[in-house]
Amino acid sequence: MSLISVKDIRKVYRVDKEKVVALNRINLEIDAGEICCILGTSGSGKSTLLNIMAGLEKPSRGAVMIGKVDIVKLNEKQLAQFRQKNIGFIFQSYNLMPTMTAVENVAMPLMFKGVLKRIRVREAKRMLKAVGLGSRMLHKPTQMSGGQQQRVGIARAFVAHPKIVFADEPTGNLDSKTTREVMEMIVGIAREHKETLILVTHDRDIARYADRIVHLVDGNIVSDEPNQSIMASTEAAPPQPAASEIEQNVDMTADRLA
Amino acid sequence: MRLRDMIVMSLSNLWKRKIRTLLTVTGVVIGTCAIVVMISLGLGMQKTMQDSLAQMGDLTIISIYSYGNVTAEPLDDEMLETFRQLKYVQAVTPSYTPENWGSFTIKSGKYEFSGQITGVNFDALRLMGYEMEEGQMPDSTTGYTDMVVFGSRAGFDFYNPKKGWTNSDTPNVDVMNDKLELVINKTEETSKKAPTHKLTATGVMVEDWSRNPSPYGVFMDVNYLRSLEQEYKKLNGIKEDKEKVFSYNNVYVKVDDMKHVAEVEEQIKAHGFETSSMETIRKPLEDQARQQQMIFGGLGAISLLVAALGITNTMIMSIYERTREIGVMKVLGCVVGDIRAMFLMEAGGIGLLGGIIGVGVSYGISFLINSLGSGGGGDTGSIWGPGGMSIGGLSIIPWWLVLGALIFATLIGLISGFSPANRAVKISALTAIKQE
Repeated sequence: MSLISVKDIRKVYRVDKEKVVALNRINLEIDAGEICCILGTSGSGKSTLLNIMAGLEKPSRGAVMIGKVDIVKLNEKQLAQFRQKNIGFIFQSYNLMPTMTAVENVAMPLMFKGVLKRIRVREAKRMLKAVGLGSRMLHKPTQMSGGQQQRVGIARAFVAHPKIVFADEPTGNLDSKTTREVMEMIVGIAREHKETLILVTHDRDIARYADRIVHLVDGNIVSDEPNQSIMASTEAAPPQPAASEIEQNVDMTADRLA
Repeated sequence: MRLRDMIVMSLSNLWKRKIRTLLTVTGVVIGTCAIVVMISLGLGMQKTMQDSLAQMGDLTIISIYSYGNVTAEPLDDEMLETFRQLKYVQAVTPSYTPENWGSFTIKSGKYEFSGQITGVNFDALRLMGYEMEEGQMPDSTTGYTDMVVFGSRAGFDFYNPKKGWTNSDTPNVDVMNDKLELVINKTEETSKKAPTHKLTATGVMVEDWSRNPSPYGVFMDVNYLRSLEQEYKKLNGIKEDKEKVFSYNNVYVKVDDMKHVAEVEEQIKAHGFETSSMETIRKPLEDQARQQQMIFGGLGAISLLVAALGITNTMIMSIYERTREIGVMKVLGCVVGDIRAMFLMEAGGIGLLGGIIGVGVSYGISFLINSLGSGGGGDTGSIWGPGGMSIGGLSIIPWWLVLGALIFATLIGLISGFSPANRAVKISALTAIKQE
């Protein structure tokens, strides 16, 4: 069984009196540990799909199963708790707290979970070192470059060891050299921790970093295929965690939410 | 989220916007000060009033009169016992003067006393707090017969009938040590010798004109005085009017506390007697003071209401500024309840901080008012009546006012923050993070 399964998702926006179909009957299965890119131009519905998969938006119809939980049916509090435990986020515009230091920003998801300060600061520092910001832990976002800020964002997304990390145009505001560094870092950490990464972008160069590319046009999936360049270069699929282990973890979440 | 983390985040949010927090807190400080100082002035007035009344007389004494009221029941010993049984009543004494003026004369050597002799219950007088300049009141160990207590002017009230009244600086008689003799006067010259009783003075009262009955003339036990009166009537052949029912014309009742005076007075009036107490003066004064207090408190409440609007405004501004932050927090898994709690803590924190500073400033203002009021020695010293009547402070801040002000200020903060907090909770995570 896949970790994420999107079933018959349809999303219709009402703009004045006109109906705009953002997503039209989307079906998608994503396995645990997979690095999946949703590729599409602006207006293709890719961001809407990501928002629905992350539980930030409700679809007009359909279900999103993560493990055994249909997140469409969760209420706001359950969703918040579900995100605390299972989901990490990387934003295009970083979305760091401007008044907090790097460590405080990274530790924030752990704080929402109720982790003790001593422990969450230790975890945050470890994560910041992993993204190469060991010397900038007490800097505020305004004192850092865009690339550094996004690395804080990456550390924050992975600090709580979520099962799934969503990245929405993570390099949209960065130059090409920094883009390469940041993308390698995101993919590297996701593989290292055997975490599922869902990458949303309009940029084919970014899509290269994924194992699988889902191409979205006008709310429909037009192609869904493994990434040729990776298949060619590595010859083998990246190691994946035993499916049973993941399922067990998700089951625990389901129990907690029930 | 842990409570501690929420508190730390709320406080750091307030700290980040120092100027705005300070201004909002100042609003609460002014509001709290207004209420606390106004109420404290009201309390000060109330106390000044009570002190003034206390100087005018004992607030817990009810005077009862039987004259001039035909419907009244007889004010006799039986009725006095009824009063003694009433709840809150501590002591009852008649203030009895013989019907015929000049029935008795007290002699000491060549000096005579023919002033007022009052029959009382000494045990009651003791409970009513009469103080003795010398000696003590008679009690059950000394017995009451032949015992007498003098008012403060006792020695001066004696005069030499052969010389008439003379003013002297020293009393003519030392009542405690000189021999005293009571003569029952005859209305007509007869050969019969006027009967006499040897008297012992057990004490002299302190002069205190606020007391009723006032310590003036001579006091005897009421039953002893009445027996002497019987003797006088017998001697002079005065017949008792069989139709006439005995009734004291004046009785005093001591109540345990000022607040029960009205109730006891009501019960006594039910028997048809005229009564008077300081309550009849105190009540309208107190009503007036309460009214003033309410006006003062109302003024204070208005300033606190303005402060509440300030808090709401600050919180709404803060939410607009932090829309994005709140959205990000939600996306990162912050439960909405925690967001609401943090905003309420911020608003409540502004209220509490304003309350604490406000109470502190109020103490300062109160101190200034009191030192200016009593130190100036001018008209500010007294609100009631002319000249130096005030004893206590003009502004009094009791502990319950401090506690009340703190709770009230915090509550105002929480109430003001309630709607902004709910607004924060409703912010959509998605629109917040889309905002560029």
